[in-house]
Amino acid sequence: MTAAAVPLLEVRGLVKRFGALRALDGVDLDVAAGTLTGLIGPNGAGKTTAFACIAGAERPSAGSIRFRDAEIGGMAAARVTRAGIGRTYQIVQTFADMTVLEATTTGALLHHPRLNDAVARAEEVLEFVGLADKRHRLGRALTIADKKRLEVARALATEPALLLLDEVMAGLTPAECGAAVELLRRILARGITILMVEHVMEVLMPIADHIVVIAAGKTIFRGSAAEAVRDAGVIEAYLGAPFADDAGAELGR
Amino acid sequence: MAVRCRGERADLADAGVEALTTFAQLLVGGLLTGLVFALVAVGLTLVYGVMDVVNFAHGEFLMLAMYATLGLALLGLGPLLGLPLAVIAMFLFGIIVYRVFVRRLLAGPPEATVFGTFGLLVLMQGLAQAVFSSDFLSVPNPPFAGTIRFAGLAVSQASVVEGCGALILTALLFAFVEYTETGRAMRAVAEDRIAATLMGIDVQRINGLAFGIGAACVGAAGALLMLSYPVYPTAGVPFALTAFVVVALGGFGSISGALVAALLVGMLEVFGGFYLSPELKLVPVYLAYLVVVLVRPQGLLGRR
Amino acid sequence: MIALGAIVAAGLVTALGVRDAVALDLVFTLLLYAVLGQSWNWISGYAGNISFGHAIFFGCGAYASALMVTHGLSPWLAIPAGAVAAAALAIVTGFPTLALRGHYFSIATIAVAAIVDALVRTQPWLGRATGFELPIASGWAALQFADKGPYIVLALVLFAAVQIATIALERSRLGYYLRALRANHAAAAAVGIDERSWKLLAFAWSAVIASCAGVLYAQYTLFVDPPSTIALGVSIDIALIGVVGGIGTLWGPAVGALVYVVLAKGVALELGGTGKGYDLVIYGAIICVIAALRPHGIVGTIVDGLRRRRGALELGAAAATGGAA
Repeated sequence: MTAAAVPLLEVRGLVKRFGALRALDGVDLDVAAGTLTGLIGPNGAGKTTAFACIAGAERPSAGSIRFRDAEIGGMAAARVTRAGIGRTYQIVQTFADMTVLEATTTGALLHHPRLNDAVARAEEVLEFVGLADKRHRLGRALTIADKKRLEVARALATEPALLLLDEVMAGLTPAECGAAVELLRRILARGITILMVEHVMEVLMPIADHIVVIAAGKTIFRGSAAEAVRDAGVIEAYLGAPFADDAGAELGR
Repeated sequence: MAVRCRGERADLADAGVEALTTFAQLLVGGLLTGLVFALVAVGLTLVYGVMDVVNFAHGEFLMLAMYATLGLALLGLGPLLGLPLAVIAMFLFGIIVYRVFVRRLLAGPPEATVFGTFGLLVLMQGLAQAVFSSDFLSVPNPPFAGTIRFAGLAVSQASVVEGCGALILTALLFAFVEYTETGRAMRAVAEDRIAATLMGIDVQRINGLAFGIGAACVGAAGALLMLSYPVYPTAGVPFALTAFVVVALGGFGSISGALVAALLVGMLEVFGGFYLSPELKLVPVYLAYLVVVLVRPQGLLGRR
Repeated sequence: MIALGAIVAAGLVTALGVRDAVALDLVFTLLLYAVLGQSWNWISGYAGNISFGHAIFFGCGAYASALMVTHGLSPWLAIPAGAVAAAALAIVTGFPTLALRGHYFSIATIAVAAIVDALVRTQPWLGRATGFELPIASGWAALQFADKGPYIVLALVLFAAVQIATIALERSRLGYYLRALRANHAAAAAVGIDERSWKLLAFAWSAVIASCAGVLYAQYTLFVDPPSTIALGVSIDIALIGVVGGIGTLWGPAVGALVYVVLAKGVALELGGTGKGYDLVIYGAIICVIAALRPHGIVGTIVDGLRRRRGALELGAAAATGGAA
């Protein structure tokens, strides 16, 4: 296996137990460098838990998480960030009393310890995500779309190789979604890999290079978006068995 | 020769018995001391469990109870009447302090409860000093002044009364929390405040009750401790410090944890005082705290 | 910075011009307390972990001074010696506790302070309960002066240095990280901040600053013993100054020190200084009121008000321009 072929993120047999509940019961997934991978599944499937384990917010009960060919399973969240994985939260976590620039600078300080360098880098990032004109606005004074954008900016400022996005489209209007997709494209163009949990299918499917479907704590599908919508197992997981048969007949043209 | 051998063996045997006696003496002393620590700590841990607040003025509540029961004793009301009165008075005091003050602290940033209860500590110590002066006071004819001797051990009557009283009251509190409906409501609030609200539990009322009960517990402890310790404005400080350590060791919010930890701390203190020196008796206790926090922050029986 | 310059100028004038010993003593005390309050502020205000045992760091410097002098060494050596001791104590206290919830740390500061107090009172080489009397000397080499003037100059230098250091803190990586940790824990983790390391750094610096104040104090009063340097009462006084003035602000400690000195003097004058009770009552009441109504202290409230008004203005602007660009 050549170096290029080793996936940026490799998850094998991820298990997470909360007491007697097995939230994750053997999740496998790969994320290749430079791609956008979507992580989808019905409600309660375990997508957020898998995300939390990768990002270091939860400790896996078993299994392995390898990033850049090194084991990161069980590492604390801050350390995972320092290893090169940035993340956003499903419920936006803003620094309410910091300005947009200050918040982004806090992210930039990770790799630019001198404040002036960090501020310069933060300005660049804000320019890139389109928040430059709001740089002196307080975190608490932003709209939800801008808060999400700021969270992405903050994560980008830490210069990640992999960006984890947790339902970043939730709560956005169609226009805002479009702007978000455009931003994702530009992030990919910079060489940053994206793994995103998403429910808004019509936005995710067109842009995803790769789809992973989780149901009942297990990976049930890995492949392209086009294949995913046709897969009987996926359809059954989302809609139930009767639909899988019908869909099979429908799509089997 | 045979006589001398027998003599030597007799000496060794005596030394052994003496060591054992000392050990047993320390053990009993440690247990009794620990029981009182448990009573002091249990109120603190209950308040923490229910509303996430470490009451840094806990020692001053103890001090207040000591002054109150001392006053009652000087008026001729012995401990049998003094204790229940003190408990009731402290319970009401706790509820008032909650309603007027602690409730507002909870609405602020997390540091507010820390330095808010700290401010209460300063205020209460200052008031005690202003009203009662810094003199060491005690009951002129302390009841339970005698010593009980059994199996070669000697324990003061007072410490037995304190230990037993503490044990009974701690058990009562535990039973209350485990088996009554209000106690169950408290456990619900302790576990998940929002869910408890959804279940129709009045969190403010439960908080107030918990704070009141916490004050009542430490009030009982003060009434008991007054029997053998002098009363002065900063009398509560050493007990409070020990209580904080006990609560952390046992696990914040766990009553059974506080009991176990208190017994351990009681032992540590008594053995430390004997084998090290009386001034250094608390050093092993505090070192134990640092070690436990490093190794197992949730304490022996804690959840969080 | 302008304010700082003005204060330094005023202080210099006082040091050189005023001759009244009582007034000079007051100014010295004020400056020393302001420094101690600021040192407390670094860990309890900026980092958000309230320390109830801060006096031991002050004591590190004071005792280092006493030990150096009684062993025939220069008191200037006490500055690095005390700093090392203080930093070590800070690390011992903070390492197990700074990554946990706040009260663990606060209790640990009390515990370590009690251990230090007990050890000092029992160890002969640390002077036990009687402490040390420093032999009288004179001159800069011995760091002692017959006149109070030079002491005030030194105190001013220390105060100015600490204020400048605090300004630098606010504009540094450490300052930003501490602010982030206080603002939103989850977000701070998401930008890779390791809470324990950064807070330990702040705490160690905080301890070193307090230790420097201790050295100056020892050289001024020429008497070091547990009740005056490491007792719980001293820790409480330091915390009082920090809270009253305003946790987490640049000028809070200075304001708090001013209030403290004025009140202490006022109480002593009005009520004759018998029984320390009355001033404690006033301080306690002030802290309770602040905690319940204005948790950010005097200066903090002003800063908050400014921020909120700005936030409201911006929200209004955002609404007017229709939200996202």
